[in-house]
Amino acid sequence: MYNRESKILIIVPSYNESMNIEQTLTHLSQLKTHFANLQICVINDGSHDDTSQKAKTFDVVVIDLPFNLGIGSAVQTGYKYAFKNEYDIAIQFDADGQHNVEDLIDLLTPIFEDEADMVVGSRFVEKTDYKGAITRRIGIFYFYFLLKVLTGKRFTDPTSGYRAKTKPVIKEFAENYPKDYPEPEVLVSLTNKKYRIKEIKVNMKDRQGGKSSINLVKSVYYMGKVSLSIIMQKLK
Amino acid sequence: MSSINWLSFAVVVLFLCAVLEFARRGILEIKYTILWLITCVVMMVLSLQTTWIEWLSNITGVHYAPSLLFLVAFLFSLVLIFDLTRRISNINHKVVSLSQEHAILLEKVEKLTKEEGN
Repeated sequence: MYNRESKILIIVPSYNESMNIEQTLTHLSQLKTHFANLQICVINDGSHDDTSQKAKTFDVVVIDLPFNLGIGSAVQTGYKYAFKNEYDIAIQFDADGQHNVEDLIDLLTPIFEDEADMVVGSRFVEKTDYKGAITRRIGIFYFYFLLKVLTGKRFTDPTSGYRAKTKPVIKEFAENYPKDYPEPEVLVSLTNKKYRIKEIKVNMKDRQGGKSSINLVKSVYYMGKVSLSIIMQKLK
Repeated sequence: MSSINWLSFAVVVLFLCAVLEFARRGILEIKYTILWLITCVVMMVLSLQTTWIEWLSNITGVHYAPSLLFLVAFLFSLVLIFDLTRRISNINHKVVSLSQEHAILLEKVEKLTKEEGN
């Protein structure tokens, strides 16, 4: 059903990523030689710097949000665009240089082989070079544990945003997607709806520059908010 | 009737005038104006008819009549605040959805304008 000829959209949410966006788009643009119908869509989430202008020098779609909506709503804009333009596959790819372009083909393989509706790039499914901060690792383990209890499934990297989705999942996300910190929450909602989720190994680098969307103060709010959302999802 | 009764009454009348003026200018929606008008009328009656409050506090067993007034006011505020957060959530959903649609359409318009130019 899905193959290299499928319409693929890479969604790149960016907020003040002027330092990284050109390098990210240069790498991603090389993929166009591998896939016939690949498009890149930069969602500029109300950046105050020249992220949008820099992105517009590339052969990509740039959607400028009128103001900062937050990561969830920015990514959802990409899904809405993908849904309206009838893309078969959508991939979220961070603009900050954390995600590896080389892993993208591996990410698509389970979809081409009809093994999954969503593929999650995981840093922990096998041993990789990833060396994240200890606080981040604790957070990841906490969500792993919470999801294991609630869904009975193992999601080794529940906060990973590097994911490929098929058409039915794009439709789900275009209609409904959490506004902030969406990654762990959608794992529960998709599991509830019996979608097939598969994790594959990816390598992630530390941020190449710019500012992370999560700081230490926000972490506590993040854990509480996501825990509540996950439990609410389970009760639906 | 003590002066505090008249003072309260005057404050409520001023508040009522403000509500009506905001409604007239269209700043306050009519459906919310109704809520505030009812509140004003209740407060006006209670500020002059202190015997009613005393009667109510006797029934409910509240020893100090103004305490009952504070309790009612507090519960009313709580319900109102809860309703407002519900409405804000609803408006927030709509604003996000509108902004997304707006941005997607803008991209489409820019693309079409560019194509027309070529």
